[in-house]
Amino acid sequence: MENKTTEEIAEVLEAVWTLQEQGNATVDEVIHSAKTTVSDELLKKLRNEGFLSVNTAGQIRLLEKGKTAAEKIIRRHRLAERLLCDVLAYHVDESEAAACEYEHLLAEGITNSICTLLGHPRYCPHNKPIPEGDCCRQASRALTPIVIPCDQLQVGESAKIAYFSTKEHSRLLKLSALGISPGVTLKLIQKWPACVVQCEETEIAFEPEVAHNIYVWQTPKE
Amino acid sequence: MAINPSSDSLKKVVLVGNPNVGKSVIFRILTGNYVVVSNFPGTTVEVSRGRMQLGGSTYEVVDTPGINSLVPQSEDERVTCEILLREKPDVIVQVADAKNLRRTLLITSQLAEFGIPMVLALNMIDEAEDRGIEIDSGGLSELFSIPAIETIAIYSKGRRQLLSAIQNTTPPQNPILKLYSQDEVIRALDDSFPPALLSIEWLAGNNSDLNRTIEDSFGSDALNHLTEWVQQYRAAGHKHPAKEISGIRNRLLDRTVASYKKKKKSRFLKESENIKKFWFGLLMAGLFLFAFNEFGGLLNLKTPFDFVMEWAGNNLDTIVTGNSLFRSIVLGLNQDGALEFGLLPGFIHFLLFIAPVIIPLGVLISSSRSFAHDMGVFSRRPSTGIPILLGILLLLYEFVGHTGAQTFVGLLENVLFRQHFIPWLQALIPEGFLANLLVGKYGLVSMGVSYAVGIVLPVVATFFITFGLLEDSGYLPRLSILSDRLMRLMGLNGKAILPMVLGFGCVTMATMSTRILSSKRERLIATLLLSLGIPCSAQLGVIMGIAAGFTIKATLVIIGVVASQLLLVGYLSTLLIRGKPSEFIFEIPPIRMPQIKNVALKTLFRIKWYLKEAVPLFLAGTLILFVMDSIRVYGMSLLVWLQKGLEPVLEGLLHLPAEAAGIFLLGFLRRDYGAAGLYELARNGMLTGQQVVVSLIVITLFVPCLATFLMIIKEQGWKRALAITGFIVPFAVSVGTIVGWILRTFGIHFN
Repeated sequence: MENKTTEEIAEVLEAVWTLQEQGNATVDEVIHSAKTTVSDELLKKLRNEGFLSVNTAGQIRLLEKGKTAAEKIIRRHRLAERLLCDVLAYHVDESEAAACEYEHLLAEGITNSICTLLGHPRYCPHNKPIPEGDCCRQASRALTPIVIPCDQLQVGESAKIAYFSTKEHSRLLKLSALGISPGVTLKLIQKWPACVVQCEETEIAFEPEVAHNIYVWQTPKE
Repeated sequence: MAINPSSDSLKKVVLVGNPNVGKSVIFRILTGNYVVVSNFPGTTVEVSRGRMQLGGSTYEVVDTPGINSLVPQSEDERVTCEILLREKPDVIVQVADAKNLRRTLLITSQLAEFGIPMVLALNMIDEAEDRGIEIDSGGLSELFSIPAIETIAIYSKGRRQLLSAIQNTTPPQNPILKLYSQDEVIRALDDSFPPALLSIEWLAGNNSDLNRTIEDSFGSDALNHLTEWVQQYRAAGHKHPAKEISGIRNRLLDRTVASYKKKKKSRFLKESENIKKFWFGLLMAGLFLFAFNEFGGLLNLKTPFDFVMEWAGNNLDTIVTGNSLFRSIVLGLNQDGALEFGLLPGFIHFLLFIAPVIIPLGVLISSSRSFAHDMGVFSRRPSTGIPILLGILLLLYEFVGHTGAQTFVGLLENVLFRQHFIPWLQALIPEGFLANLLVGKYGLVSMGVSYAVGIVLPVVATFFITFGLLEDSGYLPRLSILSDRLMRLMGLNGKAILPMVLGFGCVTMATMSTRILSSKRERLIATLLLSLGIPCSAQLGVIMGIAAGFTIKATLVIIGVVASQLLLVGYLSTLLIRGKPSEFIFEIPPIRMPQIKNVALKTLFRIKWYLKEAVPLFLAGTLILFVMDSIRVYGMSLLVWLQKGLEPVLEGLLHLPAEAAGIFLLGFLRRDYGAAGLYELARNGMLTGQQVVVSLIVITLFVPCLATFLMIIKEQGWKRALAITGFIVPFAVSVGTIVGWILRTFGIHFN
């Protein structure tokens, strides 16, 4: 029962946050768009616990406590979407539903790990901003997103392959047979008109789309 | 691909390895049989077989297509797996590119599981050494307990050691089983299934063809047993064992590469900077001379070539004496008595245009690895690659268009056939049917043979030489990178550049080589484009010959129209033929100095193929014309009737003279043959500039030649062959009609 309420609270806060991004949130709109039944009781509980306030015109405003909580939920949701789209090669539309599940499951530490793995993304696949976490603030000082698609490397840069984000089995096998597999170091030597990487003593060319599927650990710059 | 297991009494050696590591060269060393080899991954599309004698017994040697893994993903990989499973070879020779040890050992670790005696040939060891890579072949040999022989196949280095290793080798051991015996999946392994680890990976691949082969080789029990084992293993809460195995393989590879491959710091050792500088200076001077000769005329400058030719024209006449045949061969005097196509002018041209660039380039590439490497880099970057491409095209034009289409065509067609052989035959054969059949207007010799051998052969031969050089140098894959975007517009990818370039040599051969493309859709589009708008070299030579009589504007209009139609049709076909372009993942071989012997062998091989394929068609075509010319219906020959029938199209739509009918008919037998007919018409002043442009456009876009048509039937089936032709003929005529109308309406002339 306790869990269910937490989830309900989370859904309401998420709806308020999202609506506020677009303009402002009214009680009616929140009732309409939240993924849970928003009862008067629930709203009252949120108000009483200091998450949000409702004015006479029915407009909802997040209070400090509510903002902090909503930011975390939104962050988990949108990072989960990125994870599903970039790494597990889900389609953007498919990612939504699964991300809704994840947002309730991920612990803080894991969220930050995922954020780091993805290179502290700033936007979700729907192009909405992802709230920053501690890890992002630390990283932005060092300016090193850790895992990036290999077409974002500078020409001449070397990096170790982290993972492939593609569902096409044949592509994976083709790449790994040519010696491109996670753990191997490659060097980007040309970006246009096709990408060329060097792996051992072999040069391998592929189209940019394939390069975009190969994620590498970027070596931190001094 | 058919696999024909041959008699069992022979011992069998199978060559296996990554693409472009030199399997076919080793095949040639072992058997003495020639198979086409090149510096282009995926050259071997069919399995070749040959014999060798060794230590008193006869071996059958099988050359297989290049593979990257024995877990089959491509047709080639499946074929190789099937050969290993079905034919149960006595010895496997794994040919490896020594500088890519990791990829090599992936295959080695998979082959080791077959339990068949094997030898590892670490080929191209010189290239590895040049890059500062040292391989502990003794250590590798011990790890797998197989002989590991260092070879340089193109120089036959290591041949003796390889032969003795083939005789004495024993089954390998699989280091995975020893090194990772504590891993869960290895401990659980049931050794009742022969290539145990590999077969688990096969099972995961779920390749029904391969599963059938496994059933055939080991019985359906084995397959069921294995499936059960996998299910049990997974039921115990493990990942799919195939995943664990490929993980273990990766660990083995990392570990082995780390301990047996050493890399010294310096790349490209043992090079003399001064010699390199000297030849580089010569190359620059050569390029300058080439550019001066090529473009000096446009700036109204007298080029060195003009100067030498003028001197030769004034003086050689008196120096070279003797009978007229000798004089025409050496000097190639034209009707006005000026030097034109003889050996000597041809030689001067070669010496002043081609040699100054090619010789220093060749010396640099073969002596300096760093130069070869830099050339490789420059030719794949657009900023430098496009100028390099233009340079290569100009050189190609000078060699094929001048040395081939002018010097050799002049010698063979003009001097040998027209001035000597045909008049001699005409004098020999009494007038009548036989004379008409052989040396008449549509004579088998006077038309068929003299076109095939006199005009087409020299052009095709010089093209094949150039193509062989380009292919073996490793330039073509770089062209694939440059052209990838353009090809993508037409639903293809950069890989398709190989058939397209080959098409400029012979469209029929190129149609066959569309097999290297990975999807059916791409093969269809490439075939369509080849038969639509790629002129083969013979046709190209003739087109250039005709266009040379007119202005450069005419040539540009023809090229522009044909190229734009290719793009248009290519683009439309991406909309009509559904599917995505297959992905472009492509290995780029290093730039290497082509082996002259190999290029020569390859050229001979292709010329032989060409003669066998073309000459009968030329003769058949001539015969058809002869028959149509001889048979009279209501007082007119069939040919005239045909011309009358085509008149509305030719005169009404295209505004061409009725004589062109025979040419378009010939064009179907061989496109270049038709173009050669146009050449005659143009030379006789029967065509205006506009007509030349229109007819050349139509004949370029026109139906593929008969041989190509037959090849399309073979590769794509007769329905598609008919559909392609049914589209192309009206399309070519429409384009010709529209271009002709535009030219006339806007009064654009080319004379």
